[in-house]
Parts: sequence; structure tokens; C-alpha cells
Amino acid sequence: MRLRLGAPDLRSLADEELMELVDGGDTRAFEVIFDRHAGAGYSLALRMCGRRALAEDIVQEAFLSLWRSGSGYDRARGSVRSWVLSAVHNRAVDALRRAGAKTGRDVSDEGIAERLPARDATEAEVERRDESRRVRGALDELPADQRQVIELAYFGGLSHSQIAEMLDLPPGTVKGRMRLGLTKLRQALGEAEWVAL
Amino acid sequence: MSVENGRECGENAAAYVLGALEPSEAEAFRRHIEECAACRDEVAAFEQVTEALPASTLRSEVPRDLRRRVMREVRATPKTAPAKSPRGVRRPARFPLAWAGGVAAAVVAVIVAIVLAGGGSGGTRVVQASVGNAQLRIAGGRGDLVVHHLPSLPAGRIYEMWVQRGNAAPTPTGTLFSTRANGSANVGVPGSLHGVSRVMVTQERAGGTLAPTSAPVIVAPVT
Repeated sequence: MRLRLGAPDLRSLADEELMELVDGGDTRAFEVIFDRHAGAGYSLALRMCGRRALAEDIVQEAFLSLWRSGSGYDRARGSVRSWVLSAVHNRAVDALRRAGAKTGRDVSDEGIAERLPARDATEAEVERRDESRRVRGALDELPADQRQVIELAYFGGLSHSQIAEMLDLPPGTVKGRMRLGLTKLRQALGEAEWVAL
Repeated sequence: MSVENGRECGENAAAYVLGALEPSEAEAFRRHIEECAACRDEVAAFEQVTEALPASTLRSEVPRDLRRRVMREVRATPKTAPAKSPRGVRRPARFPLAWAGGVAAAVVAVIVAIVLAGGGSGGTRVVQASVGNAQLRIAGGRGDLVVHHLPSLPAGRIYEMWVQRGNAAPTPTGTLFSTRANGSANVGVPGSLHGVSRVMVTQERAGGTLAPTSAPVIVAPVT
């Protein structure tokens, strides 16, 4: 059955329902998916790459992959948001490793601000901001050496051996810090909360 | 480095979900977690943490031009017959040894059955894959890959489709897919098959990669 709905109705649909329409080639449904998740994807790409043009390319590639994959997107394996963020992360890591190092950043962390006007914050956006604060808080609570290796690996796209070389540490120590840090984050974030993404 | 030692494989679980293992280590660890329930559980738990990490990033507004570009590409790329590759990050694809072996096997074991289906305007050719259980249906210069009995995907993995032109390194099509419970799937090959010598499928991490990291599970020659 093909739903024929106007834009306002589309925006009331859940991601999974929208993806069924996207499978049928509904570009308006895909536009809603883009509006919901491109911000998170772009923010992640920008943080990782530090270049707006590259971040835009990465996000574009990830969403076009989602559009083409359509039926290949597997609802049982995670949310649309998780899929998009995973696609963005993988592409950003590829780009970082290809470049060898972050150079020529054209944006600083200070430049990445919460720019959404408060009046535009929907309930979902408020929830995401709460989630964001919670995860940032959990990261801040980590010992600095554990947070450092996690951020270098996840956001910096560096391998454990690159991190070990950079910090002049044995690789085993780097891996150990990663494990301790992720274990603490897991405890801090709580079992049922992560899926809120 | 052995991953059989309990302490080491536990440490690898964290590095693995952070994407911090070297490619060969990651491949070895993937094989390891197929056998090690403890590591599999640890990976699953840590993956939930890494899925939360992007939330720590301060939000930036999406450039309006990016939205326009994406939607313009989407409207120009019909779902049934995708026409264009996305612009964006493309790295010169590496050609891992595993690939060389797979493709060599494909060439040696050319058991290509070309069946002229006939009947349709212009005809449909069905080419049997030389690696894996699949058929490539070619009509009007475009292809659909019908695969059977692919192994079920472990968590965090996806099948990715590639095309190869001549003997050049494979390039990503941007098509990622999983299979039905019986291991089958029907996936369109984006764009024209003109100049394409092979359509291939590898198992990759969720979200896909820009260069293959494992040997192909499907190789279908385009003849």
C-alpha cells in the first residue's frame, strides 16, 4: 500500500515508516529523513575532519548511499540515525587516514556551537540536547588519559598504534585505556539509555 | 599478535569498536568473535557506547546548499535505475591481496553461463557469478544482481557492491545491502554497466567503506 501524504503528514511519521516510503522512491520522505539526521551527521563529520567542504562531501555521500541502498537498510540492525552516523563516521575515518593527518582545519571547536535558536527546538531536539549533555558529561568524567585515547581513535580516526606512537606509550597501554574508558562510559550512560540516539 | 589470549582479545574489543585496530588485526578479530562469545558480548556492549559518542558533538547547522545538492542528486537518481555516482570523497582504491586472489580465482574458474532470456525488448542476459551464488541480470545496459545463500551478517557488518573497470581497482557503487533470512537479495547496480568488467560484493563494516577491505563473496563478470 502506498501512502499519499502531504509534507506536514510526512513529518509526523516515524523514521521506519518514512524509510518504507523511501524504498518506493518517495523523495519527499527522504527529505524529511535528511532534515532529521543531517545535522547530527554534519556535526560529526565537521568535528572529525575540521573542514566544512570535506564534511559536506562526507554527509552527501552518506545520504546518497542511504537513498540508493533503500531496501538494503535493515531496520533490525539499528535506527536510521545510527546508520547515518555510522556511515558518516566510516567515511570520515577513511578521509582522515587518506589525508594522513588533520591539516588546514577551517573551523575550530569554538566555531561549532549550538546554533539552533531555542524557539525552533522541537521536543525531539530537546531530547537530543539532553542526550548530548549526558554523553559530554560522561566523557568529561573520564580520566583524561582514557578520554584522550577514545577521542583520538573515534573522532581522530587514528589507529591504536598511531596513538601509541604519538603519546609514546606501549600499544597495550593504549588498548587498555580504551577498554577502561569504554567500560566506564558504559556504566555512566546506563544500559537502556544509549538507544535514545 | 595472537587474539587467542583472553586478556589481549578483551583489549581488542574496545579498539575494534573504536575502529582503532589495523585492518589485518580487525579482520583477525572479526574471525575471533565468531568463536568467542565473551568478546562478542563485549563488542555488542561497547558498540552501544560508541553509537552514543556522536551525541557529544556540538551541533552545527547544515549548510543550505548541502541540502539542495543532496536533494538534487536524489531526484536525479531514480531508485529503480540510479544514474549517477555521488560527488564526494573518493580514494584511489587499494587492491588488497585477498582481492587479487579472489579475482584470480574468478578468472581461472570462469564458469560463466550466459543465458539469453529473450522475449524482452532488447533482451535480458543472465550472467552466472564466477564467485559466489548469484546472477547478474543485464538489460538495457543496466544490471540487477540477484544473490542467494549469502551468510547472515554479524552485527555491525553490511554487504557492499563494487564495480571494476578493466583491471583497475574496484570502485564503490554506494550500494549497501543486507539479505533476507534465507540469504537472498535483489540489488540494482547503480549506473550504466558500460565499461564495467565485473560487479563484486564484499562484506564491510556498517556504513560501507570507500575501498574493499576483504575478499569478494560475489564476483559477476560483465560479458
